[in-house]
Amino acid sequence: MAYFLLLPGGVWLLLFYVIPTISMLSVSLQEGSLEQGYRLTWNVGVYGEVLLRNDTQIIRSLLYGLVTTVVTLLIAYPLAYTIAFHGGRFKNALLFLVILPFFVSFIIRTIQWKFVLADEGIILGTLKQLGILGQGFHVLGENAAVLGGLIYNFLPFMALPLYVALEKMDKSLLDAADDLYSNRAVAFFKVTFPLSLPGVFAGSLLTFIPSVGDFINSTYLGSPSTTMIGNVIQREFLQNNDYPEAAALSFLLMAAILVGVALYARILGTEELTG
Amino acid sequence: MSDMDGLFGGLDRPVSRRELLRRAGRGSMYLGAMALLAACGVEAQRREEGERLEPLPAEPAGQLIMANWPLYIDKGPTGSPTVKGFEQEFGIDMKYDVVINDNEEFFGTIREPLSQGQSSGWDIIVMTDWMIAKMNRLGYLERIHHDQLPDFEASVADKFRDPWFDPGNEHSIPWAAGITGIGYDVEAVGRDIVRFEDLFADDLAGRVGLFAEMRDTFGLALASMGIQSPDATVGDIEAAQQMLIANRDKVRGFYGNDYTDGMARGDLVASMAWSGDIFALSLDNPNLRFVIPEAGGMRWSDNMAIPIGAEHPLDAHLFMNHVYDPRIATNITEWVWYESPIAAVQEMIRADAAGPDADDLSCSPFCADLAEDRFVFPTEETNAQTIPYKQLDEEEEQAWNDLFQTVVQG
Repeated sequence: MAYFLLLPGGVWLLLFYVIPTISMLSVSLQEGSLEQGYRLTWNVGVYGEVLLRNDTQIIRSLLYGLVTTVVTLLIAYPLAYTIAFHGGRFKNALLFLVILPFFVSFIIRTIQWKFVLADEGIILGTLKQLGILGQGFHVLGENAAVLGGLIYNFLPFMALPLYVALEKMDKSLLDAADDLYSNRAVAFFKVTFPLSLPGVFAGSLLTFIPSVGDFINSTYLGSPSTTMIGNVIQREFLQNNDYPEAAALSFLLMAAILVGVALYARILGTEELTG
Repeated sequence: MSDMDGLFGGLDRPVSRRELLRRAGRGSMYLGAMALLAACGVEAQRREEGERLEPLPAEPAGQLIMANWPLYIDKGPTGSPTVKGFEQEFGIDMKYDVVINDNEEFFGTIREPLSQGQSSGWDIIVMTDWMIAKMNRLGYLERIHHDQLPDFEASVADKFRDPWFDPGNEHSIPWAAGITGIGYDVEAVGRDIVRFEDLFADDLAGRVGLFAEMRDTFGLALASMGIQSPDATVGDIEAAQQMLIANRDKVRGFYGNDYTDGMARGDLVASMAWSGDIFALSLDNPNLRFVIPEAGGMRWSDNMAIPIGAEHPLDAHLFMNHVYDPRIATNITEWVWYESPIAAVQEMIRADAAGPDADDLSCSPFCADLAEDRFVFPTEETNAQTIPYKQLDEEEEQAWNDLFQTVVQG
């Protein structure tokens, strides 16, 4: 009887995950064109082709994802810690401030950065007029701009799970540590941080996976030299109408992320992660 | 585990009913997945074109939805005077959306419904000549009823009749024509730009733009190597690809129409550009110049077409005819500064510039210059400096696109 409760979730997964994934696998093995139609030819060679041609973009996307995750962790941890432990009356207001950027659409937020970081815009233009920066200096189009955009956009995804994990921690454990003559730093590394690992894991997943596949930040804030795998897939699909290659790339991206996440889970240890 | 013995492992033992059911279930699941895999083909996306013209409704529907490129129609404080005038004269509610930034990008948004023979949501779209040819090949454009377009027949200049990409104007009529060249801020750059390679000067690194439009970028690159686009082979394209990749890190980006934002903001000091855009921008920044590269620029025309499944075809024809009225066409050209397909426009601008209301014109005080401008009204000499696109078949197009892909991504 209980198994029937799995039915809605199961049907949803089947319809919106299993079938599309099989379909995508099938498309990736096809050959053809828009005008002549595509036929399933089991063209496994497309994976090798696509991997070799876009290896730079794949590695770059994984690196961007890694850097984004690490930097958001470094920024979000103190943020979440302060709100959870020292927020007091202002906890809700502070959390609201963290979520506030989400009220504006992702794309608009990113485009706004294009204006903020424009060569002759508010920040750079002023600095250039003051003589602090040279005339040829620009941020847009460099790795820093794309990373900055990614970190800015995904910070709440890291901060919120961390906050939840820290919030529900039993504070009396810290009192116990104090009773046992530990100083604050040791108490943090031996008590607080290990207990917040489920939050770290959740936040890392929520940050790493979307940021690797992101293409918006690279489109608006980047240049050809910051092309990410998401840009390649978008271009293959929408402009070149090369569906098999786009599907193959999507599959490779999924595989790369799965491997990364599995490794990560293995390193952290599943005991700690289920809290 | 016993159920991992595989389908053949258990054949030498009596099979229990549960075992049989379990194996049958698994087997049918595998078969189902295979069938699903095999069935997931993508049908050929070409629509067969009927020889019969779709009959037009007797009455206009009262609505019209048009997509166009930015800066391509006259603009007043409350919108386009041409659109407003059309709405008032015909009582048709018109939605003029400036959503086209790049041909392929826009085509990508309407391809899916068109391939099913359904409405794309647009009644008129404006696409560059080669995209009209491509959409024609796929059967995605309605045939045009020329009996509804008397002004077109009467006013269009001969050079726009019966073009290479649409014989007999059966599926499109021109909106405007222009030239792809280079736009630059003469003060920021400090000198004149004369050749395509000048874009790759070291002191301009990181502040120049190329086009995401493959035919334009490859076209100028080929020309700078002494090759005319219509004669280019795949080997020539590979050479152009190498040349562009070698210079790519000096380029800020590959743009669509949004290069105008970059130039207006000062992020770009020099970029591949379309002739009329630079004039529009130079009203705000008089240092902007447009030049046809020494080795040649690309000439193209943008054309109005009606995609299949359009919901208001008669209204579409009414608007298409409306903009071929020489007076309306002159109003548009005085704002847009791109070549008009209507023959009488040049003379009318001269007359306007010399007339009593010259100061009220949208092109003032440049109207007299506009009428003589060799980019807006190309002379024989200017035409000789321009190169048309090559008509690509599907295989070539895919090859060129693949090569351009490696240029555009780092």
